[in-house]
Amino acid sequence: MEAQAARWTPTRRRWRHALESRRVLAPLLIAPAVVFMVLVVGVPLVWAIYLSFTDAVGGSLSGHWVGFDNFTNAWHDDNFRRALRNTLIFTLASQAIVVVGAAILSNFLVRDFRGKWIIRFLVVLPWAAPVVLSTIIWLWLLDSLYSVVNWTLAELHLDHALVWLLGAVHLEEGAQVPLQWLGRPNLALIAITVVHAWRILPFAVVIFIAGRSSIPTEVEDASRIDGATGFKKLWYVDLPLQLPIALVAVLFGIVFTAVDFAVVYILTHGGPFNSTQVLPTWAYAVGIDSGSLGEGAAISLFLFPLLVLVTVGMLFFARRAQVS
Amino acid sequence: MTRRQTIVTYLVVVPFAIFLAFPFFFALITMFKTNLDLANVEHVPYTYNDLAGNLHWDFWNYATFEHVRFLFEETNYPTWLLNTVIVGGAVVVITLLLAMPAGYALARLAGGWGQGAGVGIFLVYLVPPTLLFLPLSRLVSQLGLKDSLWALILVYPSFTVPFATWLLMGFFKTIPQELEEAALMDGASRLKALRLIVLPVSLPGILTVVIFAFSLCVNEFIYAFTFISSSEQRTISAGIPNDLIRGDVFFWQSLMAATLIPAIPLALLYNAFLDRFIKGFTGGAFR
Amino acid sequence: MADAADEVARAGSALTRSDLLRKGTTAAFAVSMFGGLTDRALGVYGPLKFAKKELSGELRIMTWAHFVPDYDKWLDGTYAKQWGEANDVEVKIDHINNALLYSTGAAEVAAQSGHDLFWFISPPATFQKQAIPVTDLVQEVSKKVGRMTRVARKSTYNPATKQFYGFPESYAPDPVQYRRSQLQQAGVSLRTWDDLRQGAAKLKAIGHPVGLGMSNEIDSNMLLTSLLYCYGGYIQNEDNRIVIGQGANRKGAIQALQVMKEIYSSGMSDEVFAWTAASNNQAFLAGRLSVALNAISIVRSAEDSGNQALSDDTWLASIPRGPVQRLGNEHVMGVYLIWKFAQNKEAAQKYVVDQMLAYEDHFVRSKFYNFPPWTNSIKGGFKTIREVATKDPHKPKGKYSILTTIAEKYTTNPGHPGNTTPVMDEIYNTFLIPQMFAEVAQGKSSPADAVGRFASKAQSIYRKWHNQKLV
Repeated sequence: MEAQAARWTPTRRRWRHALESRRVLAPLLIAPAVVFMVLVVGVPLVWAIYLSFTDAVGGSLSGHWVGFDNFTNAWHDDNFRRALRNTLIFTLASQAIVVVGAAILSNFLVRDFRGKWIIRFLVVLPWAAPVVLSTIIWLWLLDSLYSVVNWTLAELHLDHALVWLLGAVHLEEGAQVPLQWLGRPNLALIAITVVHAWRILPFAVVIFIAGRSSIPTEVEDASRIDGATGFKKLWYVDLPLQLPIALVAVLFGIVFTAVDFAVVYILTHGGPFNSTQVLPTWAYAVGIDSGSLGEGAAISLFLFPLLVLVTVGMLFFARRAQVS
Repeated sequence: MTRRQTIVTYLVVVPFAIFLAFPFFFALITMFKTNLDLANVEHVPYTYNDLAGNLHWDFWNYATFEHVRFLFEETNYPTWLLNTVIVGGAVVVITLLLAMPAGYALARLAGGWGQGAGVGIFLVYLVPPTLLFLPLSRLVSQLGLKDSLWALILVYPSFTVPFATWLLMGFFKTIPQELEEAALMDGASRLKALRLIVLPVSLPGILTVVIFAFSLCVNEFIYAFTFISSSEQRTISAGIPNDLIRGDVFFWQSLMAATLIPAIPLALLYNAFLDRFIKGFTGGAFR
Repeated sequence: MADAADEVARAGSALTRSDLLRKGTTAAFAVSMFGGLTDRALGVYGPLKFAKKELSGELRIMTWAHFVPDYDKWLDGTYAKQWGEANDVEVKIDHINNALLYSTGAAEVAAQSGHDLFWFISPPATFQKQAIPVTDLVQEVSKKVGRMTRVARKSTYNPATKQFYGFPESYAPDPVQYRRSQLQQAGVSLRTWDDLRQGAAKLKAIGHPVGLGMSNEIDSNMLLTSLLYCYGGYIQNEDNRIVIGQGANRKGAIQALQVMKEIYSSGMSDEVFAWTAASNNQAFLAGRLSVALNAISIVRSAEDSGNQALSDDTWLASIPRGPVQRLGNEHVMGVYLIWKFAQNKEAAQKYVVDQMLAYEDHFVRSKFYNFPPWTNSIKGGFKTIREVATKDPHKPKGKYSILTTIAEKYTTNPGHPGNTTPVMDEIYNTFLIPQMFAEVAQGKSSPADAVGRFASKAQSIYRKWHNQKLV
């Protein structure tokens, strides 16, 4: 009995020591997550990359090797180039709106005022609703016949003024009343950008608020002592300190908007005349609906290298800003 | 705050709130409109008109519950809601099980890995699901999970785990090492220290992960559409557009109701936990 | 009804499952086996021997959510159930929104598992390598009920492989639906496209513009292709080569583009670029549009809307004549594919054949939406169809008779005079045709340039599929 006990103990202690060692414990803890990701994302991703170099058709997961043909063919198609351009426009424009809006709104939402809870509830709503469903609501708001936006503009007698304004800034010439928010190319670009911004804004506001509360109180006190208040404070103290957080918020916004499929698909289906196609919707039209899977894969992955660069760059800057 | 500051505050937050909440406000009105009221272009959209297009003070007498009833009684809506909650809940659990150890390891034990991991984590979000769903379809079918909620429960963590890991990694970094050191001194193993000391303190971080992961699951629709074909197994993001849009016909009022019903409780929930959520974030990535 | 039941019982019912599912049996055999079972329910397929029993086979069908919801209810609850009970197969039908048929199909192909029978809203030429050829089934039906219509043949036959890759199930003609009172008031005729071109301005002037879409959706695709046919602007020729960029086709296309541009600028509003498939329906039912080109879902919705005046005022007409001809596209061409990985191919094959041997119920239950690809699937062919259609009780009486004329004489397949190839499929799914028309209408391009660009895009699409040996 005792000999047995004596024999077991060293083994148990060896195990315990092993588990204590960083070199063993760390990979052990990380492994499940990594294995899972490799199986569920890694393998399909590699397969998708493979597909983009083939002429796969239908839903078939294999095809003949065609090298870079899919990518060059896509590049020569002006519908593809427009989709690429639109993806960049929607992403940058909507995120610019989001950053500015979130910076302003977060500044005021940290204050205490009556009705703060209700206001916060209203602000969070777009984030709480599934994107497909809330976009369908927008489809109704911008409907070609029943748009309440147009109805309201008409009641306020602002509709003709808006048409004039759009013509004056050369944004949309010759538009008619009621404005076809989803039927004229530039109006559709505006509408989609607004819906993207609307969707991401609550999330960005929350992140910005988080950033504000991370500003140490010593900094607040110090700046007050130094006499920096209002705008000066915002520019020289708050914004720089918020930069790491802002960058992360922007990064999320960029990622979620650049790969978004639902908003464009539901609102315009890529129209009018394919002028609002983005890479995900164009890839879907070519790869799934038309069956040219290899081409669709190539179109989907076109932005991947660029987005990787952007991600790496922004995270790098976020780190730098944080440290300093 | 001074009087002036208060006024300025309202002048800023109220327009934002109106812009963000307007679609839901309008959905709330629209969901009770009768078909003839809705279809008439001359009618006022913000209230309920009678057949002749007149408005009344007792506007509620010209509204109808019919479309909400239709939603609940003649579609599988309640089932979809339940399915969504089940999938969300299960995925949150799986996410926590995978991300917490990984986040802890990256924060405490992995040293220089953290930076590379951060980038790697974001990369996962750059791959469009409109492409991935095909090879994943094969995986799902080979595991025999086609047409079942388990297909989603298996696949969804693929986009919740990366962010959760990253978030928890940052969060764990803010928990002072001294806490664990003390426990280790007392003879506890690392795992025990993790369980008894770190876990209770990380509640805000965990809550953040729960909220974010749940919202990602509710939003997802591409996998929800393609892995599940039978109506009773669908989640709301897939079931609602499929059954309430029949080719030519949009059941607008029911669509509005279908969106509001989950959105309001979720918004209330997020709002209630917002402060904790922020703490989770802050405590989070930026120290 | 009894006649039809006997007929089909003779053709298709049997005792053993394996016999049943592989070939039909003779009348004598069937009668001798079931003669004594007078207490059993008599369904369309003869005695439902397996009613209320545990069915031993399973047939999984994926199809769309039909525009006429009652049809689906009948299909699932009565027809499929009875067929299943007569054949010892449990039939499970899933319905999805037609926009998602392709992605779900692709997912099933990727997964190599899914349903047995998959219905598509237009000929699924891109999936043909994934399905078993159905030439034998087509021949079986043709032997029993006569030739299939040209529309169906050109839609599902691939001359490159010399096989029928899909089994045609139904097609829906595309009539003009218009408000008679408004057209009379404005003094506009719909006889030719030229009449419409001249009348559009008058209709807009009385506040009821024309509704011909140029958006990224199916209605626009179909009507604009029809317009091209009427002007002789063919995209393909008989050999499925792209010809729209040359000669008479090019001229015809340019003319068609100009006509549409004029109709838009004088008689339509910007809304036509922002439409979903439902928008023209909604605008027509709201009383706004005077003319629309759509499957009969508009006029049927008008009947269901409770607005009697609108419904009575909604008449049907065939597509206006162009200088070359009067010809339109089918709006929907329902085609079944039997996947190579289907688990119950025998049941699938029998199901589609059986359905085609007695189609009258489907025609009536779908409120005339589903026309049979083999005309004699309805006994008496077009004569019977016309009788049934004319008997429709909605006012004005006999208004559906023209639908039969359209189906019989003025309906063809996408890609006319060629087949419906993957090339046409891709052109439709990337909305190149509405794009071409809308660019011209909104003044962003000249007709000649637009045709040229379209032709070169179509050419490169053709090259791609030609390399796949699918066209």
